[in-house]
Amino acid sequence: MSLPYSFKLTLQSILRERWIYLLSMLTISSGLAFTAITLLLVYNIDSATRKLPEKFSVMIYLKDTATEDERNAIIAAAQKDRIVAHTIFIPKEQALKELKSTLKDSAFILEGLGDNPLPDSIEVRFKSESVEPEAVQRFMGTLKDLKGIQETEYGEQFLSAVHSLRRGLRTVGLTIAIVMSIGMLFVCYSTVKILFYRKEEEIETYKLLGATRGFIRLPFLLEGAVIGFAGGLFSLAEVLGLYYLLVVSLGTTFPLLRLIAFPIDLVSLIPLSGLLIGMTGALLAIGRIKY
Amino acid sequence: MWHAPFRRLWHDANDLKFPQMRRLLAAASGADLAPGKMIQFQDVSKYYDNQTALRKITFSIEKGELVFITGPSGSGKSTLLKLIYRAIRPDEGSLRVMDLSLNTLRESDVPQLRRHIGVVFQDFRLLDNRNIFENVAFALRIRGVDEKEIKTKVFETLKIVNLRHKSDNYPPTLSGGEQQRISLARAIVADPAIILADEPTGNIDPDTAAGITRISKDINARGTTILIATHNRELFRNTGRRVLKLDFGNFAGEEAG
Repeated sequence: MSLPYSFKLTLQSILRERWIYLLSMLTISSGLAFTAITLLLVYNIDSATRKLPEKFSVMIYLKDTATEDERNAIIAAAQKDRIVAHTIFIPKEQALKELKSTLKDSAFILEGLGDNPLPDSIEVRFKSESVEPEAVQRFMGTLKDLKGIQETEYGEQFLSAVHSLRRGLRTVGLTIAIVMSIGMLFVCYSTVKILFYRKEEEIETYKLLGATRGFIRLPFLLEGAVIGFAGGLFSLAEVLGLYYLLVVSLGTTFPLLRLIAFPIDLVSLIPLSGLLIGMTGALLAIGRIKY
Repeated sequence: MWHAPFRRLWHDANDLKFPQMRRLLAAASGADLAPGKMIQFQDVSKYYDNQTALRKITFSIEKGELVFITGPSGSGKSTLLKLIYRAIRPDEGSLRVMDLSLNTLRESDVPQLRRHIGVVFQDFRLLDNRNIFENVAFALRIRGVDEKEIKTKVFETLKIVNLRHKSDNYPPTLSGGEQQRISLARAIVADPAIILADEPTGNIDPDTAAGITRISKDINARGTTILIATHNRELFRNTGRRVLKLDFGNFAGEEAG
């Protein structure tokens, strides 16, 4: 079987059936663009929520009975963790002083307390590039077995909300990508099937002259690849156009838009996805046709 | 090119999966063919729904013969040819072509069989969206012949059928007789072991018909087995060739043309 000849047949077929090709290609490009924009949105929101605020810290409150050795062991264990930037020991006296300065004019409410009710505490600050919900949760797990700890506080609700948001966004993005891919596969599948049936008589002649199934099938596989790849290129142009519009044109008016990131991998990923979808659709179509 | 035969061999070998297909190739290699039967029908019957197209047909054709099959319309001539190039299967009896049983031939081996049979179809079956050169070249392309050889062979063959000057034309722009000659050119261009022609002179003028008969005889003289189905008695009159007669699906005897 001659590959160049199969390419020639594919090219001839594209020129002959240009309107069917154009329609399929535009459908695929729209589907891919929609998927890419959704994934871009998910990617950007995911990136924004991956990093927790830099002021985020964990407070470890110590028992009144905690010894100096236990305190030092907690500090040593915390500093050993790669995500920890530094620890600050806050004695109960300092904590009370800080509380008073925070309450300012309302500090009189502390007057009737008698003994200082606040515990000694350790504040753990994280490296800014490592402040991720998963990492913080893992770090909290390492403190469990240490002695001398009365309580820990690290904004669990906030962390789980961020977690849920990210998980939800990923699920939505993945669902849209899968549904759209199935849709695009079906478009390719149907197009190749239509093209096949339009050439049924021609294919019958091929067979009578001794053409093998491979010889007959290859051009259809290539046609599927061309539809998918061209659709992918079109969709890339659409996505880049939209990105340019948002970031460059509207970015001056709405500076927040300039924060939108465009992963460079998308430049190759979109056309390659189109190619893969096109070829898979064609393969499914020619696999199901009886001839 | 010096490597052309090796390329073809490699191409064919690629498609060979069973010893019987190797035998087929050996049988089809023309001059080296051992004496024997090229086509052998043994009590072959074919039915379409409840209609009998052929009933218990028995005959054989030797290598290098030129044989005519005649009979009125609907006598089963086309069915008989279709059985040989395995467009249809026999319902009863045994059919062998080039020492290969078509009763048991696997579907995946049918293309190999057809590559050794050139067919001139009654309705020509030319590819309307390709020019004459490409129509004839197609028979070589499916055999994996390289471009240079294709060019040489196609122009040589178009010269034989006297249509070299129309190689850029498209089939719909040609007359019926010219289309018939293109169909013949496509059937012979790959030097097949057997040529089947279904009414090759139907609906064409006597001069063109005589031309096609002459070309068929020339090809036959080179050792190619030819089977021509026709209802035109003029085609085989005084040729001295075997004529098999069919009458509504029954074998009605044999005579010399």
